Amino acid sequence: MDQLDKRVKKEIFDHTEETSSTLKDEIWNHIDQELFQSKSRRDEKVKKKSKVIPIVIAAAAGLMILFSTQTESGSAFIKQIKDIFVPEKEIIQSIEGSEEETDVNLQEGKDSEYIIYIDEERYKLVKGEESDVITTKEPLEERYPEVSMEIKQYKDVSPETMISTLKTELASEYTKVTAESVTEPLDGFKLHGISGSEWDSPVTNVYVIDNLNGGSFIITEKYFLEAAEGHGARFYAMLQEFEIIE
Amino acid sequence: MNDDILEGIRNGSRDAFKQFYDTYENYAIRTAKAITRNDEHAKDAVQETFIRVYRNISSYNSNLSFDAWFYRILVNECYRIINKEKKTPSVDTSTMEDNELLTEHSKENLSDLYSVIQNMADLYRIPILLKYIKGFSEKEIAAILNLNHNTVKSRLFNGRNLLKTQLEMIEMEGSQ
Repeated sequence: MDQLDKRVKKEIFDHTEETSSTLKDEIWNHIDQELFQSKSRRDEKVKKKSKVIPIVIAAAAGLMILFSTQTESGSAFIKQIKDIFVPEKEIIQSIEGSEEETDVNLQEGKDSEYIIYIDEERYKLVKGEESDVITTKEPLEERYPEVSMEIKQYKDVSPETMISTLKTELASEYTKVTAESVTEPLDGFKLHGISGSEWDSPVTNVYVIDNLNGGSFIITEKYFLEAAEGHGARFYAMLQEFEIIE
Repeated sequence: MNDDILEGIRNGSRDAFKQFYDTYENYAIRTAKAITRNDEHAKDAVQETFIRVYRNISSYNSNLSFDAWFYRILVNECYRIINKEKKTPSVDTSTMEDNELLTEHSKENLSDLYSVIQNMADLYRIPILLKYIKGFSEKEIAAILNLNHNTVKSRLFNGRNLLKTQLEMIEMEGSQ
């Protein structure tokens, strides 16, 4: 460090000295109060949500069994899902360090085998023959790598087999691959592949989820490094709302 | 960041979070004071940053160093408060990259180096503050500000050159 650097550092430190010896304590007391001494409204909201969702799912499953014994009408079945799950709600997601309130809309996946809430201001769900793909509503410029989240069900392939196959596939495509069991954004197994550390280095996250019926759901997120806390975080928040319909 | 403390925070431990606070508060307060140029705003920014870190710790992943993640939240929080106070959208300074005038108030008489820094355009000021307060490397600053490494390198180079020139002027004036 030369003289200029030392001088600049000293000037900044002299001007940012704590003006009050109690400032540190004041800030801590506020944080302590907010996080540990009282339940914030938001915490209560989250707790309520975690209790309500299983009840809603159980009710949905019950009604579906009842419904499927009475009629084979698919459209009525979908309507039933929409009646049970709220069609629109607000979620709070962390985008680049800031919390953002976002409206999300209910979408039922292929053959109504799952539901997910989508941020329809930015994304759309495209239903295909084999899988569904959530992608940006407005196409990205060509200079950006692909941004998408594909949801596909393999009804006859167990999660263990899928993990083994996908590990090999990702390892051939990316220089760095990691694998771990996760409970967030959903219960399952996560594979993460990345090559390089440039802004546009492609990133793939694959979630392997047990479909509770001998098969697997595979959710493949694709984005690029610079978008990790943008599209990556938004995909994460949407996946927190993913539910399998048994 | 110590792994045990990180794990403690993930498990909701108040003691672990207090330890983390004690380790990070000093530089965080200095950085926030320098960025917001206002002690009250700095206090709000630091409070909110620690609260956000606690609430969002589950979304932190080691692709980014913990310090870079923490300071990214802090810088964003400072910007949010500054913009809220201005009640107008922030100015996009990216188009000023090649502008010879690095300072927003270049005609003012800047008698000390700190005033010079604080009158620089944010795209030079923030990297300089991160470099000199916490000693972040160019690579780390690029990660915090979500910028290309070469962009940060160039901004620091230009900012530092301006400081050098201003220091020479200040010293010349002092010797007259």
